[in-house]
Amino acid sequence: MSMREITYRDALNEALHEEMARDPSVLVLGEEVALYEGAYKVTRGLLARFGERRVKDTPIAEEVIAGSAIGAAMGGLRPVAEMMTWNFAILAFDQIINHAAKIRYMFGGRVKLPLVIRGPQGGGKQLAAQHSQSVETWLAHCPGLKVVCPSSPADAKGLLVTAIRDDDPVMFLEHEILYNAKGNVPEGEIAVPFGQAAIVHQGSDVTIITYSLMTLKALKAAEELERDGIHAEVIDLRTLVPLDMEAVLASVRKTNRALVVQEGWPVCGMASEIAARIQEDAFDDLDAPVRRLTGKPVPMPYNRILEAQAVPQVPDIVAEVRRLAA
Amino acid sequence: MAIQTLLGALNEALHSEMERDDRVVVLGEDVGKVGGVFRVTEGLQAKFGEERVIDTPLAENGIIGAAIGMALYGLRPVPEIQFVDFIYPAFDQIVSELAKFRYRSGGQYPAPVVVRTPYGGGIKGGHYHSQSPEAFFVHTAGLQVVIPSTPADAKGLLTSAIRGEDPVIFLEPKRLYRTLKGEVPDGEHLVPIGQARVVREGNDLTLIGYGAMMQECLDAAERAVKEGIDVELIDLRTLMPFDWKAIQASVVKTGRIVIVHEAPRTCGFGAEIAALVAERAILHLEAPVRRVAGFDTPFPYTLEKLYMPDAPRVLDAIRETAAF
Repeated sequence: MSMREITYRDALNEALHEEMARDPSVLVLGEEVALYEGAYKVTRGLLARFGERRVKDTPIAEEVIAGSAIGAAMGGLRPVAEMMTWNFAILAFDQIINHAAKIRYMFGGRVKLPLVIRGPQGGGKQLAAQHSQSVETWLAHCPGLKVVCPSSPADAKGLLVTAIRDDDPVMFLEHEILYNAKGNVPEGEIAVPFGQAAIVHQGSDVTIITYSLMTLKALKAAEELERDGIHAEVIDLRTLVPLDMEAVLASVRKTNRALVVQEGWPVCGMASEIAARIQEDAFDDLDAPVRRLTGKPVPMPYNRILEAQAVPQVPDIVAEVRRLAA
Repeated sequence: MAIQTLLGALNEALHSEMERDDRVVVLGEDVGKVGGVFRVTEGLQAKFGEERVIDTPLAENGIIGAAIGMALYGLRPVPEIQFVDFIYPAFDQIVSELAKFRYRSGGQYPAPVVVRTPYGGGIKGGHYHSQSPEAFFVHTAGLQVVIPSTPADAKGLLTSAIRGEDPVIFLEPKRLYRTLKGEVPDGEHLVPIGQARVVREGNDLTLIGYGAMMQECLDAAERAVKEGIDVELIDLRTLMPFDWKAIQASVVKTGRIVIVHEAPRTCGFGAEIAALVAERAILHLEAPVRRVAGFDTPFPYTLEKLYMPDAPRVLDAIRETAAF
């Protein structure tokens, strides 16, 4: 399969174009997704190609966007709802938690809910407390939702394709900082399966478990550590629900040391869950405490310097790994 | 001391605090005329009037939004969300506004709002009347999360919550409202936020619980002690801030931990305890921290008893952890 380098944004856009062309039941809805082609231009060209019936501009009402997408999915369509950011999707949490997550279960499996809600999250652009949050932990704690966090253009495309074809509600969390990131993406159809982590850097001394933007930071840290002779293995989880603990445990059994890195708040976060499972299932393999490196438990600061301090940075990861390796 | 139900103790705390401080106001669906769907606010409107005990429309976002505005203006609102399962329409107000005001205003606007709400299963309420979403709020920076398990703590913690300067999510174990009675100190009674209670001292294993699960933990601990496992039982009482010192002291002594909650397992409070202990006290551990939790499914109607941890399930975990 031939490769070319494209951005994360274009990879997502390609997935939408291909899936809409492939399956007439796929539709896109959200604020400014049609005429304006999306606040981040992820839905570029969709209205011109597929028309107003399948590419819908909605009012600024997240609860309605999620609610009508849920109804469309129950009715047999495959809606892909865009939230301008996941920060605003918090307004739709009742629809997501009390309806999307529960409907298949409530109907004894007789109703499917092939719904994707996608949009950006995360900090790093000085957008402050209400536009920089990471929501994956809330979603992962709500049974009935699948949670996807791609870190590369190839995974962004391949996971979005899988999400759209999935019969369950998928919460697709893009990172705002990554839209312009470039990477190799295979030509033509690709589908990346859910529940399969990727080992993005091989190592034998310490396992770094992470996802989304933090994967890029962990990779930089691993390269730096390599120069000191410390070989970190970096695992990109790619999907948080389902979670590929086999890959995590296999690596920890090899390295005997684990660091979990996440951008969001610490308490009851994804990193807590992963650390809890490592100590449950690899207790005798551990040579050191399972460490977590997370965002600080504060609303995201606007100030540039404070914002940088509120989330893990490459030197923080390097320092943690050094401590663990020792 | 008087013997009271958990519900009666909460009602008493509200009466005393409203009497003591005229900035305290209560608002919510049916809290006034009816006295609340569970009657926690009974008698308040008759005593304090419609200006301070306000029946609201069925609009959770409006209830919390109004409460935030009142708090910024200098009042001390205690909104009630009828069941915590209905709190999600207000999730944006809680996490994007309430939790952030003090920080965003550089400390100029504390938001002393106490959101009271019944949580948990055991009343055959199905999945819209049985949820335990404490982890959502514990995860959110800027909120305190309190869950009493006894009538005395219900009174003492609610009083502390109302007098505090920060927003509190106050989760009430509804299946214990009328079924649990206990001694409650007369007059003013304050239980500090952030202090766990060692319910029973022991040397072999630490059992950690909170809220309605304390009843199952007490039962399981009693059975384990009969089998020769000397269980130390801790009631966390507040999840944020949580009492790490109490947990640490116990881990150092016993080396074995079982944590119990009825909320789903993934990213629940048990995950945090397990992660913290694995991070800070792993050298004291003789066995992995064991979680006994609800399952990662919506809360079931017919399988309620299977879903929620009960004493036999807790006892199994105690036995396995003790024998590890």
